[in-house]
Amino acid sequence: MSSEPIERRVSYIGDRLRASQCTLCGKEYFRGKNYCGSCGRKSFGKMKTIDYFYDQGTLEVSTLVNQPTNRFIKMGSYIYGLVSFHDGKTRVPGRLTDLLIQDGKTDVSCFDGKNVVPRFRRRHTVGESDVIPTISLAFTVADGYYPHQKYEIHKPTKEYETPGIVGYGVYTSKFRIKEGNMERSVPFIDEDAVTAAVDAGKLALIHSGVDKTLIGKVYVGSESNPYAVNPIASKVAQVLKLGKEEKTGLQSVDAIDTEFACKAATSMFKDAASLVYYPKTNTDYAMAIGADNSQAAPRNELGGELDHFVGFGGSAFIFGMHDVIAEMEGWYSCTSDTPDFWRRDMQAYPRHGGRFTGEPAYFKHVIKSCKTLMEQLKLNLDDIDYFVPHQPNLRFPVKVAKQLGFKEEQYLPSLKVAKFGNAYSGSSPIGLAAVLDIAKPDERIVLVSYGSGAGSDAYSFMTTSQILEKKRRQKFTVNHQIDNEHLEYVDYHTYRRLKHGL
Amino acid sequence: MNSQNPAIIGVGRTKFGEHYERDPESLIEEAGLQALDSAGITRKDLNACYLSDYFLQVTNKIGLEEGFFSELLELHVPMEKTRSFSSALLNACHAIQSGKYDLVLVGGMEKMTDRWDKIRDDLMLLEDPWSYYAGCTPEANHELLLNGYAKKYGIKGKQLEKLYTALAQISVKNHKNATKNPQAQYKNPITVEQVIKARGNHCKSLGLFDFAPVSDGASALILASPKAAKKCSDIPVYVLASSSATDYITFPSREDRTGFVATTLAMQTALKQANVDLTEIQIAELYDQSTLLEMLSLEDLGFCKRGKSWLDIHKSCEDYQGFYEIGGRKLYVNLNGGLKADGNPLGATGGAQIFEIFKQLQGKADSRQVHLDGEAPKLGCVSELEGFGTKSYIHILGRN
Repeated sequence: MSSEPIERRVSYIGDRLRASQCTLCGKEYFRGKNYCGSCGRKSFGKMKTIDYFYDQGTLEVSTLVNQPTNRFIKMGSYIYGLVSFHDGKTRVPGRLTDLLIQDGKTDVSCFDGKNVVPRFRRRHTVGESDVIPTISLAFTVADGYYPHQKYEIHKPTKEYETPGIVGYGVYTSKFRIKEGNMERSVPFIDEDAVTAAVDAGKLALIHSGVDKTLIGKVYVGSESNPYAVNPIASKVAQVLKLGKEEKTGLQSVDAIDTEFACKAATSMFKDAASLVYYPKTNTDYAMAIGADNSQAAPRNELGGELDHFVGFGGSAFIFGMHDVIAEMEGWYSCTSDTPDFWRRDMQAYPRHGGRFTGEPAYFKHVIKSCKTLMEQLKLNLDDIDYFVPHQPNLRFPVKVAKQLGFKEEQYLPSLKVAKFGNAYSGSSPIGLAAVLDIAKPDERIVLVSYGSGAGSDAYSFMTTSQILEKKRRQKFTVNHQIDNEHLEYVDYHTYRRLKHGL
Repeated sequence: MNSQNPAIIGVGRTKFGEHYERDPESLIEEAGLQALDSAGITRKDLNACYLSDYFLQVTNKIGLEEGFFSELLELHVPMEKTRSFSSALLNACHAIQSGKYDLVLVGGMEKMTDRWDKIRDDLMLLEDPWSYYAGCTPEANHELLLNGYAKKYGIKGKQLEKLYTALAQISVKNHKNATKNPQAQYKNPITVEQVIKARGNHCKSLGLFDFAPVSDGASALILASPKAAKKCSDIPVYVLASSSATDYITFPSREDRTGFVATTLAMQTALKQANVDLTEIQIAELYDQSTLLEMLSLEDLGFCKRGKSWLDIHKSCEDYQGFYEIGGRKLYVNLNGGLKADGNPLGATGGAQIFEIFKQLQGKADSRQVHLDGEAPKLGCVSELEGFGTKSYIHILGRN
């Protein structure tokens, strides 16, 4: 689509699967209508706006597409069919995604009749300077890797004196590359940092049970935004309908992208917490997302060492003063002009400073911020239940934890780099989520992120009793994404192709 | 015959196929001249022109076709452009019936190979943009229709194999018919095995030989008022009915997704208009964009029972005599080779269908001529679609 106005209109409807329902007879229309064909004039003004974003559909009839149209050619072969919602009240066209079909080998006859979940994805290939088209007419099977989950709003029961995390979500893709003792998350071809950010945000809403209209600000930290100019946060706000929805197609919410290598998201945690703490702002909640389709040059090129470590994924944390599961006790950040890893404008892949990324960069900053935070809060090592460091590779986080004096039981639960690879802005936040998944009430978690360039944020969180009741609301936990029978392992060639995307 | 019916008094067409050396104007010029000659009139006798093409604006960046045609003919008469040939003919019929004109040229053209590499995207976007956005292809929609049909009627296992064979037999039959059509795009006979093999992957229910090709070509006819027809032609072919019906653009939103309701509705209107019974129709040109559509058209038009057409086809084709035998009656279908073998230059396709029925009714179809009880057929029908069953046009033609 090279027409931006058309693109905006199609995305507005398609990303969220916006529809309408006649309140008189119940008839539903995908792509909303102002009146119902059955009820005629009396239905004017009686059509309710609905959407199928959190719904589950049924793939009624399907076929294998092995010769797609030009714009879909990079997807390879896929299943295309008709998906019905609400027991056939409406039908939409849909493509099954997250499926690598080998022509003639994959059994494609088993999908008819399956329950499917709409997924927000890139729509198809366009020119390199065009607006990137998206749509949620992509589906995955509900009994697969990504379960169907409803979004239910839970009225808050308790107000806290200290702001903190009220809910979170982690999204990594179904595909993995396994090399040696390391597994890494690989995006499907229609995924990118934008889709990961939206998915993580969606999962955080589901987990928190927060009313999305009460979210006043969303931050998205990423270093792999497919645009140089155009925020990911605006897409997240529109698709997830954050803030109050205005009639003119606007959302009453502030949205901003941030960038500071791998600490782009963690840096905003304190801003999000401060914002919800600030009186009279009417900002009940703020969401901080870190999402990356971590970039790396191919192995035989300069900077290609990163290709052994990069992953894909997103994390989202919602901060507020109500029904907090982990209070933010304090923080400390430090910064220096240390260019140990960078990507110049117009360059596809980042470069790094080799051994320079170690002692004078990662270790210097992480140790400084962790130690200072502990001093500020007068914490001893044994006051801390979990230590969550930034995880760019297997070696650094273990080494820094040992240097700081942490024991294995304090730092191992958060180390997920061997399962997902380095998700850049999502890296240490995924570690935090992994710990929150298993934490009990009244446990202290110290998170220390690192961002090249360079800086580090250290936070101390104290879990509350409400952490337990909210666990039930999230099926798509970090562990679910690690220990999952539906994971699909790909070879190096496929990994590069999928990562490169549409 | 109702004396108020407009009549076709001349037809013309180019060969359908890949005309890389020619521009659209030269194609319509050839077809138009043929039509004028066969009607025995000259361009200056024309009161108006009705043109059709789907895609010239896209394929050839030509928007004001009427202007090109005016320059070609050096005529300044009223001209209108529509999408399909049938819709041009329908509009021409209305004009003649209103008494406005006596002699009108209807002409269609298409130059699809000028955009061969992008035409499938264009076709799909035209057919149904939202399905396109979800990854649909022109072929996938036919397969969904087929899979939905098999599911609805519980056709499985051996029976399903038989249905697939029946579809292959349609393609074989149409290629066979085209061997006698000098203007056809494909004049080579094919076998059932070839059609099935081209489906390739065992999961694919339709393949290359099930679908009509991408083609260039033009067709034209001269439509006359009954008065003018009697003056110009010995055997005028009357347009006894000209009807159409419309359905939703978005295929998934339609009530029935195992056939085209627009075709059924248009046929009902047409039979009433012509005041004939379905059983009187002897020859039909059906819109076999795919073999499946020839099969489903037989049901949508009412010739075959719902869910049973493939059985009639299979039985008729096991020992093919040149016609389908349906309920003890003979129905000759796609004598020119259908869209599959004759070719499918969208805006011109309907003209080729009319061309065939015209020639058959006049008894001038050369080696393709069919005889019923020793004479040329009297009543034929043409079904043309726009999009994926979005618009359906029916024309019933007859001679005195």
